[in-house]
Amino acid sequence: MTGANYAAGHAMQAAPLASAVEILLDFLDPGTIIQVLINGLAKSSVFVMIAVGLTLVFGLMGVLNFAHGSLTMIGAYLGGALVLFAVSPSMGDFTRLGAFFVVVVAVLALLTALGAALEISLIRPLYDRPPLYQILLTFGLTLVFDEIVRIVLEIYDIQPTTKWQAPLNTRPSFMGQESQRTLDWLFGVRVDGMQVFEIVFGFVVVVGIWLFLTRTRYGLYIRAGSEDTEMTEALGIDVGQAFTVVFGLGVGLAGVAGALLMWDPIRGGASVPLGADVLLPAFVVVIVGGLGTYRGTVVAALIVGMTDATMTWLFDNHVEFAGLPELVVFLILVIVLIVKPQGLFGVKEVGGH
Amino acid sequence: MSADADPGDGDASDTSTGGAPLVEVEDAHTYYGESHVLEGVSLSVREGENVALIGRNGVGKTTTLRTILQLTPPRRGTVRVKGADVTGMATHEVARRGVGWIPEDRRMFAELTVEENLTVSVRESERTAAELERAFETFPALREHRSRKAGNLSGGQQQMLAIARGLVGDNDVLLVDEPSEGLAPLIVETVADVLRDISQNDDVSLLLVEQNFPLAVDLADRFYLIDHGQVVESGPTEGLTSDDERIARYLGA
Repeated sequence: MTGANYAAGHAMQAAPLASAVEILLDFLDPGTIIQVLINGLAKSSVFVMIAVGLTLVFGLMGVLNFAHGSLTMIGAYLGGALVLFAVSPSMGDFTRLGAFFVVVVAVLALLTALGAALEISLIRPLYDRPPLYQILLTFGLTLVFDEIVRIVLEIYDIQPTTKWQAPLNTRPSFMGQESQRTLDWLFGVRVDGMQVFEIVFGFVVVVGIWLFLTRTRYGLYIRAGSEDTEMTEALGIDVGQAFTVVFGLGVGLAGVAGALLMWDPIRGGASVPLGADVLLPAFVVVIVGGLGTYRGTVVAALIVGMTDATMTWLFDNHVEFAGLPELVVFLILVIVLIVKPQGLFGVKEVGGH
Repeated sequence: MSADADPGDGDASDTSTGGAPLVEVEDAHTYYGESHVLEGVSLSVREGENVALIGRNGVGKTTTLRTILQLTPPRRGTVRVKGADVTGMATHEVARRGVGWIPEDRRMFAELTVEENLTVSVRESERTAAELERAFETFPALREHRSRKAGNLSGGQQQMLAIARGLVGDNDVLLVDEPSEGLAPLIVETVADVLRDISQNDDVSLLLVEQNFPLAVDLADRFYLIDHGQVVESGPTEGLTSDDERIARYLGA
């Protein structure tokens, strides 16, 4: 291994072009490409789950919810607690999966209710103020939520900064670490059950929200309200109610993303710092896609997920130190902000409400 | 109607040409922040009549429409729709009482299709198909473009869509703001025909803000002349020309 690294480093110094070609050839190997694609899809699914609530809320009411990450973290702990309560050790794999979906619905319902209550009590009085007030308020909420969770964890004697391991035992066996398979028929690509689950879950959520937005009347009102709140109101639509519904759903979806991450210690795992960890990539996805556009957010999640997976592969295999893949994700953000400040699919400037 | 009616205190009922009142504004004082825009406007629109608001730019015509819809609620004064006090009510509730808005700049939902733009406006979802059919009968060009995004329509088509959007809302009164603005003369003619047509055949009254004086006079039965946030003249439009000294004094450059 050291020898190979040394050789790669040596080749890079001697003939950078030849070395780049070598890396490219290695990347173009079908096994590598498919592996990166699958890893990228799993990452994209997680990104889109986290970002979608943020983008719906910004699109309709122009509020950037800085508490979104903390709400994902609450969803992770709540999901963990509920799944521990719902799953007993004797349960079979598919019963466990079923219990997980019941937990997801419960987390969605509880956090949607929390979000609706937050919108009515705290956000609503601030719509007529400059955006700074909403940012300060939601940032303040982050501090409050994090502290409340710390206190609760203290009571149950759970370490707030390390990933909570207990809920991992409730996973079906086909999702655990031991579920990783090397697919000989697919160029030796390695896949674990959690990745497949995340990809399917993300796909279902993306399609579900898309159907809600494009095929239901309420979705139509939300799309109209996102374009022109005042005009929609003047056509007889209660946009204030839509604000409550969408903010609630946005928070609910943040919670569902948390419940998903609670089962995945590699890409998430319930811990208090999870909130900040997911907020940054969520902002990157939302801004790259164009603030408030659903299609843009989905495409941006794919771009960011694929880039992240490609860079992780590159740094793992051809660079002598790890830890930089995240940097590239933020590099995408910087490039998009310079070249196309409104984002890939964005039409309006930030604060243009 | 006496030519020197007390400014700002114009009681409209004496000159009304129509039936029961649809919209009544009484001594409305409306502010944008600290700036006092309407300084006691009173007017009314009744069933079966069209009314024009005329006056120079920035005298408060658009604000009057916004005040009626409670988009910019008055700080003092009352707005009534079909006799019921709607002052301070939410805009969507005022709209649902039968008040449609065809705003300046049309304000299409550019990312939505023509059909979706109209559907947003239909108040009872069971009636969507019927209402769309009615709109497409009045505006055959919109049927052709029903699946196109509204943002891709021409200015004239967008104005038609804005009017159609007011029509499918099953409104009793349409607040129409500068419908001819930015349109070619030929298209203005079409828009005028459509407005005349729907006010005659669809039981809709118009409250029309229009810079194009001949057009305003042509479409409306009565007028209110607004200056500095007050009604300074009002009366029937019959025989009215821009040379009329009551008008020229306020509209003249």
